Amino acid sequence: MKTVSSIAALLLSLFIAAGCSSESPTESTTETPANTSGIDGAQFLLDAEPDGSSGVIAVREAATDGDDIVITGRIGGSVNPWIKGRAAFSIVDPSLRACTDIPGDECETPWDYCCETDKLAAATALVKFVDDSGKPLAADSRDLLSVKELQTVVVQGKAQRDEAGNLTILASRLFVRPDAQPAE
Amino acid sequence: MSSSLNPLEIRSMKLLPWEYGIRNLLRRPTRSALTLLGLTTVVLLVLVVAGFLRGLERSLAVSGAPQTVIVFSLGMGENLEYSSVPMRTSDLVAASIDGVRSQFGNRFVSPELYQGTQVRQSEDGDASMGLIRGLTPGALLVHSQIEIINGDWPEPDEVLVGRLAATKLGIPLPELQPGNTLWFEGRNWTISGTFSSNGSVFESELWCRLDDLQQAMKRQDLSLVALTLSPQANFEDVDLFCKERLDLELQAIRQTEYFATLQKDYQPVRMLAWLVVGLIAAAGVFAGLNTMYGAVSGRVRELAALQTIGFSRRAIVVSVLQEGMILAVTAALLASTISHVVVNGAAVRFTMGAFELRIDSDALLIGYATALALGVLGSLPPALRVMRLPVVDGLKAL
Repeated sequence: MKTVSSIAALLLSLFIAAGCSSESPTESTTETPANTSGIDGAQFLLDAEPDGSSGVIAVREAATDGDDIVITGRIGGSVNPWIKGRAAFSIVDPSLRACTDIPGDECETPWDYCCETDKLAAATALVKFVDDSGKPLAADSRDLLSVKELQTVVVQGKAQRDEAGNLTILASRLFVRPDAQPAE
Repeated sequence: MSSSLNPLEIRSMKLLPWEYGIRNLLRRPTRSALTLLGLTTVVLLVLVVAGFLRGLERSLAVSGAPQTVIVFSLGMGENLEYSSVPMRTSDLVAASIDGVRSQFGNRFVSPELYQGTQVRQSEDGDASMGLIRGLTPGALLVHSQIEIINGDWPEPDEVLVGRLAATKLGIPLPELQPGNTLWFEGRNWTISGTFSSNGSVFESELWCRLDDLQQAMKRQDLSLVALTLSPQANFEDVDLFCKERLDLELQAIRQTEYFATLQKDYQPVRMLAWLVVGLIAAAGVFAGLNTMYGAVSGRVRELAALQTIGFSRRAIVVSVLQEGMILAVTAALLASTISHVVVNGAAVRFTMGAFELRIDSDALLIGYATALALGVLGSLPPALRVMRLPVVDGLKAL
């Protein structure tokens, strides 16, 4: 009978262990792909921050189609701000708060700005690095430019506006602002 | 080499005849039959659960096409029922994205309004939750698996019913024949025909004309736009369009990815089902143990006598295992036959619609593996227990 009890305990523990196993929490919904494009991303990166940059909201209000602009924003705006395999991503005005800026918030994808959705549409722009024909470069920005979600970037380029007021930046250069140190 | 072994060693390696195990089972026909019945029930239950899992998995797996993309509201997760995009999205998508498949001037773009709503057989009949999709004929280009198996594409005030819609609605199948009527969204709809979709989730839906459904629901928007890309085109172009046109608040997802997400959402259900399989199998093991303990403890003297005449303990353990395995495999054969006839293809309702249980090769593999495990686990402990008894004590046992 002792044998039967041991087998029963073993079986039950096996089934329960199988049933209770869970995946580890997702840290990022977007994985960084390898750069197989052969494009050198260094040519697009600036060593020093360009002067005269404005936030996304200000540029959306002022810029017209074809204007040369310098714009500052944080990478994000949706769960997946990247265009996989393309040198394009969304940025959000630095005045908006990501979930990581809210103490105690444990959002798994803080770069989606889910706490600021009502302001998001007017504070978001798309950054595209394009080739001579105007098509986005076939290289994933995360690998090409070594950028990640919620980094603050300053982008130089030309504004592209449409009749609906959307803003796309045809980027030529990018500066990645060093992460702010936490307050003492 | 063999000449170096003495006769006792040769005899110690000899197994009991196969017929000995079979005869033992037939010596206690009632007990053996009851055990067989119990094991068959256990394996059948395991096959039903495995068939449920395989059916659910297949239903979602075949629903997506790799070149088909769904464009819907930003921030909706996978809840297409709550998605609302402007009607013009369909034309904008078709005009703005290079690489949308086209044939004879027709673009593979399908504007759709998708809603879960109460459906009745008549205005004052009992309500059940149905899934309604308003479409244009372009849907037949995008959802290429769709086949109208009887009747026609719906005209105004008509509805085309999926093959499994009756299960989803809990209505007898004959009630959903062409010419009959259904009542939803405040009006009567005549059934124009039935469609199949290779077992996908669409088969549990009711399809009608997009403009009809928009009028009935007093809506002018869409839930989603489904489109098929040409083989050379990239999903990223659609994604880029959605992220550039922020004013439309759109997002795009590959259809295969959408249904893979749903698969992931059903993971807890699947885990629970596997737990049920485990518990049922455990119950089967106990049933087998009980029977085999009874079978072996009644033969203690006989088994001791077998040792006395020279059969090794290992040979006797193998023979007891054979008995258990014969019962288990017979149970598996019976259960798989019953499941193939009764269970396979039976439709069941679930939140996303309905699907058919599938007793496929994977389900059968699970069933037979369970049966073999039941045979071994049920027989081995009693066989080992009786073999621990000294031969002399065994011969004196009553």
